Amino acid sequence: MKQRCRSEQEEKLVQIGEPATSTYWKSLEERRNGPHFTAEFPGGLPQLNGAGAGEPTRRGFLGMMGFSLAAVGLSGCRGPVQNAIPLLVGSDDITPGVANYYATTCRGCASSCSLVVKQRDGRPIKIEGNAESTLFGNGTCATGQATVLSLYDDARFRGPVWRGQPAKWDELDQRVLDSLVEARAGHRKVALLSSTINSPSTLRIIAQFSQQHPNFTHVMYDPASYSGIRAANASSFGRAVIPHYAFDKARVIVGLEADFLGTWLSPVEFARQYAAARRPEGSPSLHVQFESGLSVTGSNADVRIPIAPSELGAIAVALLRRVARKAGVTGVSEGKEFFSDAQKLDAVADELWKHRGESLVVSGVNDVSIQTVVNALNWFLGNIGKTVDLTQPSLQRTGDDSAMAELVEAMNRGEIHTLIVYGVNPAYDYSDSQHFLEGLDKVSLSVSLSDRPDETSSRVHAICPDHHFLEAWGDAEPVASVFSLAQPLIAPLFETRAAQETLLRWAGDPEPNYYTYIREFWRKNLYPVQKTFDSFDAFWDRSLQDGVAVIPSGTVAHLPRLQGDWTEAAQTILQGEEQAARNDDRYELHFYESVALRDGRHANNPWLQELPDPISKVTWGNYAAVAPALANRLGLSEGEVVRLKTARGQIELPVFIQPGQHARTISIAVGYGRTLVGKAGRNVGVNVFPLTSMAAGLRTYSIRDVALEKTGKTDLLAGTQSHFSMEGRPIVLETTLKELKQGGETGENKKALPTLWAEQLHGEHSWGMSIDMNACTGCSACVVACQAENNVPVVGKDQVQRQRVMHWIRIDQYYSGPEDNPVSVHQPMMCQHCQNAPCETVCPVLATTTSSEGLNQQVYNRCIGTRYCANNCPYKVRRFNWYNYTDNPDFDFNMASPLGRMVLNPDVVVRSRGVMEKCSLCVQRIQLAKNLALQGKREVAEADIQTACQQACPTQAIVFGDLKDPNSRVSKLRQDPRHYEVLEDLGVRPNVGYLKKVRNPMSNV
Amino acid sequence: MTNTGNTFVVATFSDPEALLRGVKALRAEDFRVWDVYAPYPIHGLDDAMGVRRSRLPWITFLAGLGAMTGALALQFYTNIWDWSLNVGGKPDNSTLAFVPVTFELTVLIGGLSTVAAFLFRTRLFPGKTERLAAEGITDDKFALVLRKRTADVARAMKILEVSGAETIEQKAMEL
Amino acid sequence: MSAVRAIHGPVKIVPSESQVLPETRLVEGRPTLHEITSGIAHPLESRPGKAWWICLALAVAALLNLGGMVAYLVGKGVGIWGLNNSVGWAFDITNFVFWVGIGHAGTLISAILLLFRQQWRTSINRSAEAMTIFAVMCAGMFPAIHMGRPWDAFFIFPYPNQRGPLWINFRSPLVWDVFAISTYLTISLVFWYLGMIPDLATMRDRTKDPVKKFIFRILSLGWNGSHRTWSRYEVVSLILAGLATPLVLSVHSVVSMDFATSVIPGWHTTIFPPYFVAGAIYSGFGMVLMLLILTRQTMHLQRYITLVHLDKMAKVTLLTGMIVSYAYMTEFFNAWYGGNLYERYHFINRATGPYAWCFYFMVLCNVVTPQILWFKKARTNVALLFIVSILVNIGMWFERFVIIVVSLHRTFLPSAWGMFYPTKYDVGILIGSFGLFFTCFLIFIRVLPMIAMWEIKGVVAHSEHERALGSDAAARAVAGD
Repeated sequence: MKQRCRSEQEEKLVQIGEPATSTYWKSLEERRNGPHFTAEFPGGLPQLNGAGAGEPTRRGFLGMMGFSLAAVGLSGCRGPVQNAIPLLVGSDDITPGVANYYATTCRGCASSCSLVVKQRDGRPIKIEGNAESTLFGNGTCATGQATVLSLYDDARFRGPVWRGQPAKWDELDQRVLDSLVEARAGHRKVALLSSTINSPSTLRIIAQFSQQHPNFTHVMYDPASYSGIRAANASSFGRAVIPHYAFDKARVIVGLEADFLGTWLSPVEFARQYAAARRPEGSPSLHVQFESGLSVTGSNADVRIPIAPSELGAIAVALLRRVARKAGVTGVSEGKEFFSDAQKLDAVADELWKHRGESLVVSGVNDVSIQTVVNALNWFLGNIGKTVDLTQPSLQRTGDDSAMAELVEAMNRGEIHTLIVYGVNPAYDYSDSQHFLEGLDKVSLSVSLSDRPDETSSRVHAICPDHHFLEAWGDAEPVASVFSLAQPLIAPLFETRAAQETLLRWAGDPEPNYYTYIREFWRKNLYPVQKTFDSFDAFWDRSLQDGVAVIPSGTVAHLPRLQGDWTEAAQTILQGEEQAARNDDRYELHFYESVALRDGRHANNPWLQELPDPISKVTWGNYAAVAPALANRLGLSEGEVVRLKTARGQIELPVFIQPGQHARTISIAVGYGRTLVGKAGRNVGVNVFPLTSMAAGLRTYSIRDVALEKTGKTDLLAGTQSHFSMEGRPIVLETTLKELKQGGETGENKKALPTLWAEQLHGEHSWGMSIDMNACTGCSACVVACQAENNVPVVGKDQVQRQRVMHWIRIDQYYSGPEDNPVSVHQPMMCQHCQNAPCETVCPVLATTTSSEGLNQQVYNRCIGTRYCANNCPYKVRRFNWYNYTDNPDFDFNMASPLGRMVLNPDVVVRSRGVMEKCSLCVQRIQLAKNLALQGKREVAEADIQTACQQACPTQAIVFGDLKDPNSRVSKLRQDPRHYEVLEDLGVRPNVGYLKKVRNPMSNV
Repeated sequence: MTNTGNTFVVATFSDPEALLRGVKALRAEDFRVWDVYAPYPIHGLDDAMGVRRSRLPWITFLAGLGAMTGALALQFYTNIWDWSLNVGGKPDNSTLAFVPVTFELTVLIGGLSTVAAFLFRTRLFPGKTERLAAEGITDDKFALVLRKRTADVARAMKILEVSGAETIEQKAMEL
Repeated sequence: MSAVRAIHGPVKIVPSESQVLPETRLVEGRPTLHEITSGIAHPLESRPGKAWWICLALAVAALLNLGGMVAYLVGKGVGIWGLNNSVGWAFDITNFVFWVGIGHAGTLISAILLLFRQQWRTSINRSAEAMTIFAVMCAGMFPAIHMGRPWDAFFIFPYPNQRGPLWINFRSPLVWDVFAISTYLTISLVFWYLGMIPDLATMRDRTKDPVKKFIFRILSLGWNGSHRTWSRYEVVSLILAGLATPLVLSVHSVVSMDFATSVIPGWHTTIFPPYFVAGAIYSGFGMVLMLLILTRQTMHLQRYITLVHLDKMAKVTLLTGMIVSYAYMTEFFNAWYGGNLYERYHFINRATGPYAWCFYFMVLCNVVTPQILWFKKARTNVALLFIVSILVNIGMWFERFVIIVVSLHRTFLPSAWGMFYPTKYDVGILIGSFGLFFTCFLIFIRVLPMIAMWEIKGVVAHSEHERALGSDAAARAVAGD
């Protein structure tokens, strides 16, 4: 199934019965210690060995029976595919019951994070971050974590389709080739419309394709566009790129409507940098955020200033004016200030100036003028080349709005003969999708490479489904000269074909093989450049094993200089402000990508649909976020449906009252309201992409001059949290940086509460956890990671409305301060594994007790479901199976279909109806690590065990370890001055501790 | 009170007072009253007939004592000796927590064994055919019964008559 | 013979108008023993009236509904109720505590009042005990069906098994519940049956119908009214009464510990045991009042269930009502005086939160309503008492609802706060439990003597005896002059 290694030494290994997978490592440990680690079953099949090979025990026999059944079933579900070895034949890579880990690259979005994917019995079942990656560390995001479920999506195409009818690949290829010939003959255009592509080999294939077809155009299109930044950089620095930002080098960060911790550009990477730069132990950076809706980023800022989208430009200019003044540069007219709070801006400007060269101004707004002003700001602050890297730019978004617009026009003019749509869905997410569809009808042959139905693929002639990325080879270059490889984790489930091979085929290659192509590409283009390896095989194997390769391109680009006319940009903004009408009962709409669904391509992923929004905690749908003040003024209540009338049409949405929302701005998430996507995502929420518009060749994600009227209807939102005030309880404790530096009252001197009873004897471990409230950004990657690892069921909107969400880890959101601009905190909350657990005492049947290793364990098959334990849990982290959530038509999500159930983790039992469940601190991972250590005849090392949530966390906020071991990180953190336990005074003595949130208020704001 | 083929002297009354008088009078002359049959317990008759105090309370006490020890033993054995788990960090020996169950079992066993003993001693069991001394005993009649063996039947009958018996007859039957 | 009779005429138990019973008129008029028998046996021997049939029809309808809904519950899952992650118990356990409470009056009347030699209990204790048993049956149903996996309910018994050491948690109040409730049910049942044996014998000897005779013969265990048996019988009754008295107090104390031993604000309270017992007696007497008023009107038993009984029960209701009210005040005082953050918030929430209306309705029923019973006029006004008794029961149901749901819906972490909204299954099963209860009771009053004949006879004769002694004393006094 994987590529195999052909070197001498590998062959020898195979002969002596070693798995031939020494290039694949199962854990960092193994990577360091070499392949011998895979020599034995980590699980150790004790029964079989114990009973001696001669007489297998009953359990052993049943175990083997069970496996062989599973194996037969699995192997039966697909025929042999090139480069894949079906389980029927058996594979050295796969030891039954033992997971393998392979490095690959995420294609959940174009950020192209490096991944390590857990593969169990031939099935990828868990996405993990790749610690080898210099960019992303071992972090992942919620979307990335959920992509593994999209692989097992029932909605996926089973094979190629011609005009709605299943077809053969050859037949389709022939039709397309004919059409291409016809196009060439008629000198008509052939267009490839794709999302951002940063895979060098794929770009090469497309180039090859264009050589075959002279009048060929390739248009890249991102529904959430960044081309404003590229355009601005083109004019300011002569480079149409998105710079590579370094938030970790910045001491002062000013964000202008850029949710860089949630969804913007490369959130995993940025969150990692951000957290690193804000550790209270050092001197944490200052973060000022100007934004209209409360975003994940804004909720973490030291200073957050709510603004209307229309004010953004004015603020940028005002900042530039101040900074320019300090820099002694003239050119920004001393016009009138449109943003009221002048001294705030002064303070921000001072801070920026104070940290010249180690500050950073970023803006996510897709507007050339504003981005130009931001460029000028960074230039005068000397950040170019320091925190803003233009020489090694980011290639994570390369879409071009104007090119897209031009293509749509061309289609409507009937110039496009053949259109190939690859990885985009403009019929849903283009600002003028109707216009696009009209154009599409004028195309004589339209082909979609989409691997599952969407609004666009339903309208094309031919569907040539691509693999899911976990089935495919691939490479990527997210940031210039940082490469990463992707390899298949499973043979294609259906009759799909890699898009690259499809393109190669149409470029004339009769027997396309993307694997060999990519290998050759790396041999020709990357191997020569790199210095470390002297044989290509070594280079390739290592790159494939690590998944990433940093290959600095020989040429050192010179530092760019600010050249474009930024004063003009400032002027345009100010003129715009002059004309802008201010009217109190006219509002502005601001559209944003939600952390879960992003641009909507993952809408059919039930995990993401049920992922509570990090801020509002609402699941299953989008809403109109309005400020409390506005709600009071208009008498709006939550869930009340309002009609929003704009120049581009009107929509109806339920209201959510969002503290910190700008008073005159209403924020709405894009990505909802998909109509053709599959069961889970169909008609969830409302599609607001049609309200976005094109202005000056750029996609704008806000509208002014919007009227709001009530409809009298209500549409109850499915929120997982209804009360956001801490009521002055010791739940999230805070301290200030000053206090912390002085030592203050916080500290080790704090005595533990006395306990009534003698300490219970424990085994050799006492597992515990520590969660850094300062590092947690609320990104929610851990929630999905836990769901994937522990087979947590999806329950659907109705059940969430009934407050029956099943997540084992939730992230509590609390506000304090004024509701128009509150301070917010995110608190991951899961079973606290109390040593004096109230839940245990009340269970009549001893279904929950404290293990000899300090875990509060739940025995499912003993539980009779009295729910007494959940009632008596102070943290309310226990989850009850109100219904049977598996294989139950009433809950038609992934667990209801055989395909969807392939994602289940065999190491974690699927709970039956009527039993209680909760966080187990990933006891299955603990057990595995202990077995491995046992066979390695060594102690369990701290690095051996990472809980799913810890592994997924991009900011390393979660630390798991052994409290018995005084040198473990978690034990040390228990001694940290910031350490505290939630509701400590109850005396339940949790093994899960927290580190206080550290506030670093800006002195003069 | 089953013994076969005895002849009894049965005097019936409508007035418990009269019956009481009769019993006292008979006892005064050392007649042994075989038994009295009444629709309800007549107060003072115990002394009059010289019925000894029942020993049933002892049964209750012993059974209760046994149950208590048993219950405590069960709980100590199951929760401490046989299957000692860390439940909410509580010490193994949470004797206080064992009190309620111990109490309930004591009451249960004590009560049931008392009733069982009563039924056994009075030879009452389901489906037993009743042996009535006279008509309407369970309604409004009272009967005073002597055994024929009693020395001077005539005397006895006289006393009964005097004390206000409504009917006095001798019959052979099983009681 | 005749001469003798001339001298000692048979004493008629029909004294002249001047010599009336002591003023406690526990039995109206002065029936002969036979009249008592036939009077009480009458309902068993006559055809039931229309009223009874209507009541039975309603009750059975509700019972069928219960059956259907429980079947659906077991088939589907507890999810059909309105419960959620924050509120794990609501109607289910509320009904459980409610019914257990109802079940307290019976044993109290038959046991404690027996020990206190309260003769007025005689004509009501049988039906009160029956009510107890049916109520406890209803109560016992809920812990079983509220489980996520009712088919595994037997797990909570400490039975020896082959799964290696596998026992139950004797530290869990739920286990205490299981033992308390089952003991209580058994002992009450035995006590009730034992008390009925003589009357069953009476029925056996009365009835002509061979089938009935056969059944009554089996049930009456061959009782023949032997005084030697009677004297042991009274001893046993006393012993059972002595055992049942602490038992009845323990049962609701144990139930209250389900809550008192937890950590949840609003549950974690030391005054719960006495408070719950008082509440139980309060609701129990409410229910007894209601039933007795119903039966005495429909079964024409005014003669045996007199205003004296109603008056005395009203007094007990008033007393326990006052205790309950006091407990409410104490809770609030403790919350304020104890100064515990969460406790304090809970009681503010109880009085001002989303469920405040339940709280005030409860206060209206349990604190305000009984105050009217200070007045003798009210205590002897049957219609009024009936209304009061119903209000008392509703109020006590709401008390349990407030304690359980209002405490659970807002606990320590505000992030986990939620609301409970009952579904039609919550309500349906509550109504159904009443169906079960009334079906049992209605059948009971048709097929079994609902008043203890032998005890009534004893009381009547006893008061005759007293009267006799009294008049003798008077005579002697006259002679003394």
